[in-house]
Amino acid sequence: MPALRGFLWLLGFLLSGEIVVTLAGLPVSAGVVGMLLLTCWLMLHGGGFDDIAAAAQPLIAMLAMLIMPGVVGVFFLVDELAGQWMAILAALVGGTLLSVLTTLWLMRRLMGKTVSRASGPPA
Amino acid sequence: MSELLDHLLGTPLLAIALTLAANMAGIRLLRTLGAPAWCPPILVASLLLAGVLALLAIDYADYRRGAAWLMLLLGPATVALGLPLHQQMPQIRALWRPLLACLPLAALLAAAYAVGIAWLLGAPPETLASLAAKSVTAPIAIGITEQLGGSVSLMMGGLLITGVVAIGVVGLAAGLLGIRDERIIGFALGLNGHALGTVRAFEISPVAGAFASLGMSLTGIVSALLLPLAWRLMGA
Repeated sequence: MPALRGFLWLLGFLLSGEIVVTLAGLPVSAGVVGMLLLTCWLMLHGGGFDDIAAAAQPLIAMLAMLIMPGVVGVFFLVDELAGQWMAILAALVGGTLLSVLTTLWLMRRLMGKTVSRASGPPA
Repeated sequence: MSELLDHLLGTPLLAIALTLAANMAGIRLLRTLGAPAWCPPILVASLLLAGVLALLAIDYADYRRGAAWLMLLLGPATVALGLPLHQQMPQIRALWRPLLACLPLAALLAAAYAVGIAWLLGAPPETLASLAAKSVTAPIAIGITEQLGGSVSLMMGGLLITGVVAIGVVGLAAGLLGIRDERIIGFALGLNGHALGTVRAFEISPVAGAFASLGMSLTGIVSALLLPLAWRLMGA
């Protein structure tokens, strides 16, 4: 049962993340700290790679579905936010448009320098 | 009928079954219609689910209580992203300098653009606080929004719209700017489009997916550290 063993690994890293976050008083979520701990663990060639992969891949595939219960709540706010919808939609759509353009443009500029300094992009 | 429904809502099973069914139906529907890649199944699935809840007159709070069992998996799923991160580490290491230079600025601007536009259009402070974390992955964004005093439900809705728009715009803008590098495209998807953008990036390629995981997690960390601070400085 590699998937179950892998799930136990993931829970172990999540709980470790929870312990770090609580003890250090970090404002970051336990999941993100657990993710970084898992990355470090794998880079140090800790065990359980195949088991972790068996559990991680299906979980990553269902990531979008896991936020659905929260997302659906917005449809039940319609009355409360009457009169604000234009501002909210403009902010979300316009803001995302601008921030995507900024990211792409920034990365192209910053990477252009790296690539010309190095001999070329890695394969 | 309503007694039976109340009985079924006594356990999380009905809420979980409805969520899974809506998700499957969304995926199936988009596949049959041959929908474009920028339209994620979760958009259709959420609309379907909201419709079913309204039709059955299920209170959202009741549904949410049951579905919280499903959202519990968000924790291990976030941890799981450490795997692709590890697998693509050589690629990420080669680019650490531009990635690190770009990230804090881009992550803060993602929040600033949206809050700025809403402020210009006269949205009240509570709405502004709900929009600030719109590009941040859900488990972190919930914490930030509570800290800023926003509405978590509105923020989650904003997350959905942001994810959908980011997926569409990244494809278009990359073409427009002549960017074909999957590493940049993946990074932009994760930074701006959180988990939804990351799922899309994995459809493009494993490399894009790993860079999206990286963009998503770094944006989460930077936002969690800087947004509450920036909020206090702005005096909002």
